[in-house]
Amino acid sequence: MEEVDKILIHALRQVGTEVSDDVQSVKQFTSELIVEAVVRCVRVIDPGLGGGLPASLPPGMSARFRVGMSLAQACQDLGYKGEIGYQTFLYSNEPEIRSLLMFLVEKLPRESAEASDQPAGKSVVLQRAISAAIKAQLALPWLPPNCRLPLLCETQSPGPLHAFHTQSLSLAHNVKCPEKKHFKGMPLTARIFDYQRDILPPVTAQASHHASVAASILEQHMAELSATQEWENEWNSQGLLSRLTPQDYRSRKLTRLQKRIEEQLRSAALLCPESAIGANRSNSDLSELLQSFRGTAPTDHLLTKGTHFTHTQKFTFTQETAAAASPMPSGRQSEGDVQVRQQEELATLQQQLQQLCLDVDQLTTDMKQMNVTTAQVWDELKKRELGNSEMEERMRVKKKTIDLLPDGESNLVKLQALVEGSAKRVVNLASQWEKHRAPLIDEHRRLKELCSNQDRESSRKLSEIKDLHVKIREAAEEAKKKEGLYKQLITELENLPQDVSRSAYTLRILEIVGNIKKQKEDITKILSDTKELQKEINSLTGKLDRTFAVTDELVFKDAKKDESVRKSYKYLAALHENCSQLIQTIEDTGTILREIRDLEEQIETENGNKTVANLERILEDYKAIRQENSALAAKVREG
Amino acid sequence: MVVLLSRLPLQECPKLCHRVVDGVCGREPPRMADYSATWSLEEWLELLNSLSSLFRLAVGNNSCDEEVLAGLSDVGSGYGEAVLSVLRARREEIRQALVERTNFISSAVLQDFDWQLKLALSSDKISSLQTPLLSLTLDVRENGALRPVTMELNREELHTLISSLEAANKVVLQLK
Repeated sequence: MEEVDKILIHALRQVGTEVSDDVQSVKQFTSELIVEAVVRCVRVIDPGLGGGLPASLPPGMSARFRVGMSLAQACQDLGYKGEIGYQTFLYSNEPEIRSLLMFLVEKLPRESAEASDQPAGKSVVLQRAISAAIKAQLALPWLPPNCRLPLLCETQSPGPLHAFHTQSLSLAHNVKCPEKKHFKGMPLTARIFDYQRDILPPVTAQASHHASVAASILEQHMAELSATQEWENEWNSQGLLSRLTPQDYRSRKLTRLQKRIEEQLRSAALLCPESAIGANRSNSDLSELLQSFRGTAPTDHLLTKGTHFTHTQKFTFTQETAAAASPMPSGRQSEGDVQVRQQEELATLQQQLQQLCLDVDQLTTDMKQMNVTTAQVWDELKKRELGNSEMEERMRVKKKTIDLLPDGESNLVKLQALVEGSAKRVVNLASQWEKHRAPLIDEHRRLKELCSNQDRESSRKLSEIKDLHVKIREAAEEAKKKEGLYKQLITELENLPQDVSRSAYTLRILEIVGNIKKQKEDITKILSDTKELQKEINSLTGKLDRTFAVTDELVFKDAKKDESVRKSYKYLAALHENCSQLIQTIEDTGTILREIRDLEEQIETENGNKTVANLERILEDYKAIRQENSALAAKVREG
Repeated sequence: MVVLLSRLPLQECPKLCHRVVDGVCGREPPRMADYSATWSLEEWLELLNSLSSLFRLAVGNNSCDEEVLAGLSDVGSGYGEAVLSVLRARREEIRQALVERTNFISSAVLQDFDWQLKLALSSDKISSLQTPLLSLTLDVRENGALRPVTMELNREELHTLISSLEAANKVVLQLK
């Protein structure tokens, strides 16, 4: 019974009843405790039913009585079959209370068990963990910053609230070394290395705030990574198609971009209202702009070497300036003469130029015609040569026939023999070929068949392998899923309250079951024993009856003749009667003993019910009620 | 007014110059407190300005060593040599910084950004919300002044923002 009481007390504590640690069994429960436990259980099982019930006993006796009545009613509503009334609560007796509490605890809803049956997803577990962590943090009291333990600093200090900022960092590897200029015998890269070795602070000391170190490093890394990726993308999509080396491609791109920018600037400069004053000025503006642009533009080693663009630009600009400079000194001489002379000269030169242009045009058309005619002539020549060779062939055949003509008949015979011989040879060869061909064809067919068989086999195996792969993947997925479920269940198991040792209970239950089995066996043994005894008794009584009947008959026969025998017959009858009486008495004794035992048991249970104490309490309560009643009556009278 | 440099001992000069270059490249410039014994505040600011503009000009105009030395002729030759060596070592870095500055020619420029991911567990109306929220802070430099722009985005809004940024990036790539 101790075990049952422990379980009951544990369940009642979970429901919210305050059972003190001293109370170890139901025997120690007071009336107040019983009422509280029952009310809490009823509230959990059926909130609507338990809502109107007070959790503690009131002081007044009649009120107590009413509470007991309503509690009993509630328990009966829940389906309790046993005897119950106000006396169950007010004048408790141990077995009744135990059975009532067991009924109520069994009725308690098991939502937690039902919830844990369904496998929860990872997110649910995570959310539960989050809410648990937040609950724990909220439960901690807030402390002023100076009193915080290092454990609390993590959750209570506003440390992670400040923003992250990035700064540019100087890293040794991403400073490109420009061309290796030698300066007084020392290469330029050596100076950079000196700087990096002696003065450049380590990367953790470069940022002004300690908090921005990580952010700056990550930012720098991301920038480099994305630049590299972009370049690789571009190179793979467009650069490889252009079939240039990376450097060529880059320089070409640079040129294109600069041209584009130049165009943009030029159009912007033309649109500008100031450009209406003079094209010269806009030109100079543009060149200045370009010059300044070139100064700040990326002058990495590709550019400083001098790109195509810069070369052409320089070339055109210098030409322009030269052209602008050359007319200047001539302009200082006497202007009128020079102008007239220059105009004349210009006219003649222009005429000459036109003439020359015309000549050149004519000559080019002539050349084209000539080229066409030569090609035609070459074609004709080839055709003629082909015709010639054909003619020569024909001539040779005709010459031979003419040579053979004088000895015509013999030559004809010879020719026929030759033809026949060759025909025979052809037939011969054909038969030989057939001979060779048949086995070869057979072989070919056989091999073909073999090949197709193998093909089929291999495709079959391939499909099998594919099936296997699919199965393997499915199995792996299932295994993964199961593993996840297993882990989750393990964590849940760890999280479960450990105060109730399930294994002990199960062991105990198994032991009890074993005991019951043993007892059952004993009972059946006893039953069989009694049956056997009964049988023996029956057979013995039968035997007795029969022997008695035979003896009775024999003695009765003789009794008519002999007096002594008649006496003995009388004795026999008396003996039989006495014996049956004796047996009856023994049986009666047995039944009486059994009755006595029953009565003793009843007395014991009645003693266990604390009848006397309860009777006294009932008497006291009765007196209290009477007093209350009389007080009330007095009040009524007074009122 | 680079002449003021000669008040510093020659061994200290490269260190100071490197710190000035750090300032040009967007890191922490040298602090007045370290040199307050040598210069007054006014002189210090003047020196700092002149040195950084010297470096910028030298790299921006791609001027050769002789031109730089000519600009430094009024300080002692040892100082000129020291400044020149610093310039040679850091030329590439300064150039990168200047290119960066040229890139920021538009009216508003994104200088920096920061983000925090938050999980709203519940609200005043819904007990279990479980919505991730991103609070994004953009530091925008507008006409030289830093203006923080802070917004809170849910998942869909963040997707919209990212897709529009990707579209912008595509346009930039087409320009190239």
